[in-house]
Amino acid sequence: MFWQLLISGLVIGSVYGLIALGYSLIYKASGLLTFAQGDLLTLGAFLGVTFFTVLKLPFVVSLVLAVGFGFAVGMLIEKFIIRRLLNKKVLIIYVVLSTIALSYIIQNGTMLAFGTKTKYFPAIFSISRIKLGSIYVQMESVVCILVSLACMLILHLFMSKTKLGTAMRAASMDRVAAEARGINVSLTTGLTWGLAAGFAALGGMLIGPVYGVYTTLGATIGKKASASAVSGGYGNMYGAIVGGLLLGIIETLVAGFLSSEYKDMISYIILLLFLFLRPTGIFNERALQD
Amino acid sequence: MKRTQKNLKRPLLALLAVLLLSVPLIFSGFPYAILICCFILLYVIAVSGLDIVFGYCGQISMGHAAFFAIGAYGSCLLHDYCGIPIMLTMVIAAVLAASVGAVIAYPASKLVFHFLSLATLSFGEIVYQIISHSPGGITNNFVGYYTESINFFGLTLDTYPRFYYYALGCAVLFLTAKQMLVNSQVGRAFIAIRENHHAADGMGVNVRKYKVIAFAVSAFYTAFAGAMYAHLVRYISPDTFMQKQSVMFLTMLLFGGTASLAGPICGVTVVMLLNELLRSAERYQMFIYGILLLAVIVLIPGGIYGTVEKAIKNVFRRKKEAAKDAAG
Repeated sequence: MFWQLLISGLVIGSVYGLIALGYSLIYKASGLLTFAQGDLLTLGAFLGVTFFTVLKLPFVVSLVLAVGFGFAVGMLIEKFIIRRLLNKKVLIIYVVLSTIALSYIIQNGTMLAFGTKTKYFPAIFSISRIKLGSIYVQMESVVCILVSLACMLILHLFMSKTKLGTAMRAASMDRVAAEARGINVSLTTGLTWGLAAGFAALGGMLIGPVYGVYTTLGATIGKKASASAVSGGYGNMYGAIVGGLLLGIIETLVAGFLSSEYKDMISYIILLLFLFLRPTGIFNERALQD
Repeated sequence: MKRTQKNLKRPLLALLAVLLLSVPLIFSGFPYAILICCFILLYVIAVSGLDIVFGYCGQISMGHAAFFAIGAYGSCLLHDYCGIPIMLTMVIAAVLAASVGAVIAYPASKLVFHFLSLATLSFGEIVYQIISHSPGGITNNFVGYYTESINFFGLTLDTYPRFYYYALGCAVLFLTAKQMLVNSQVGRAFIAIRENHHAADGMGVNVRKYKVIAFAVSAFYTAFAGAMYAHLVRYISPDTFMQKQSVMFLTMLLFGGTASLAGPICGVTVVMLLNELLRSAERYQMFIYGILLLAVIVLIPGGIYGTVEKAIKNVFRRKKEAAKDAAG
């Protein structure tokens, strides 16, 4: 029972981690909060399930296409809405509100485009489950955990080893200084929003086969993932991952051993506790207070 | 010019009062329209409450549906379990919500707005979870809760026109109180915090205290409107108090324009009328709201009232300049 719960906690936790990673990237790059991440997850999942079942593309190809589409949407959002608002020098809160509007547009847009019925991925792998010690684990769950961990590793390498990644980190540290060094800051900011949206779409493709795809799939995950971003330390990439995995495990264990009634409340309580008591999170990221 | 404006103001106000008082007569054969007017009035109170905390004090709240819920459920439960008359339970529930708001605002007041929006959002979700999974099922959870009409000193407000006059009275009372508040020392402190809280702090404004006050007052307004909602519809269920509702309040406020008396009124009226027009296209409703909200933010950040006010001022200024030019 415990191991079974741990695995399902890791599954949802790794998806929280992916979304939270997007929050942290965006916060670092532009000091903004977005509420559209969760719904981009829904969009990615719906696109993926369409590519996979309707167009009969292989799973890997549908995954890459969905993530690429998410990336493009993220960059477009930054270019046409966020940048425009920032250039108009509106209050920052209006920019945050615009992402809420976007989340409603995406969520209800997917509902109009794909319908209200839950869509399921047909069996993706020839082996449906594997034996780990004494328990059986769904193949989709294994893939979900492994792929998201691999992506986080790749992101880490990209950010620390490549020129573009270094430029992105520099731009997020000091915009003016980075510009003076010849870094195209508007490009790196756009890339960051694209990356965040791509991660969201990836999360959708990974959780879709486990949970099924429906229009409010991402809304809840997106809100809870903000709890993992805060508990890890908002703006800290590693914090996002650790916070995500921890939140997933805690939530699943509480639902399994105590009561499933209050399962949805735990993440919000954790979020409030961290905000009020330790706003810098586990990784002590100083950004939260003004 | 000032004089002509002043001379115009009195008759216009009188006309408005007559118009508002005669709404039930105008729509006498059409009770549904009166119901919509009742909704508009109670939402005006709720959104004005949000305006105090967001428009004047500059603090975002994405969990005002929670206060709406505390007002609604608080009033119903107090009436049914303690037998207190509804007129009183509405006020008690609103006071309760104000204290909850103060308790939340005290630790939250040190957060910048990004994280304040996360904190208020999770507060809203927690309250939603409590009313939909209540201990012992006292709120009837997802089944919903049936309640009674208000007994106004012996007169049962069970028809729409009766409720309309009651709601009109409440709205006038609450809006007057809001104007008095924002024009007082407290209101000036709110605005100072909105404009620059470091400067406000430096000028001796107790930032945390005034943020807590703003939240508490705002919660009182919204909770009272929630109680009105409960006793108007006589049925409440958790669906009404989801995060969607908080976003709806914000949409109404931004639509009309923040930090003004008329802004919330404009916003609520326009959004409610849109609501009715879109009733046949319910599937598209939230989609269209999203687009409208985005359009307002990108194109007219001042909202409808703010933009109209600016335009009128511009026209007057141009006229003045033209007159000056002609004289010179």
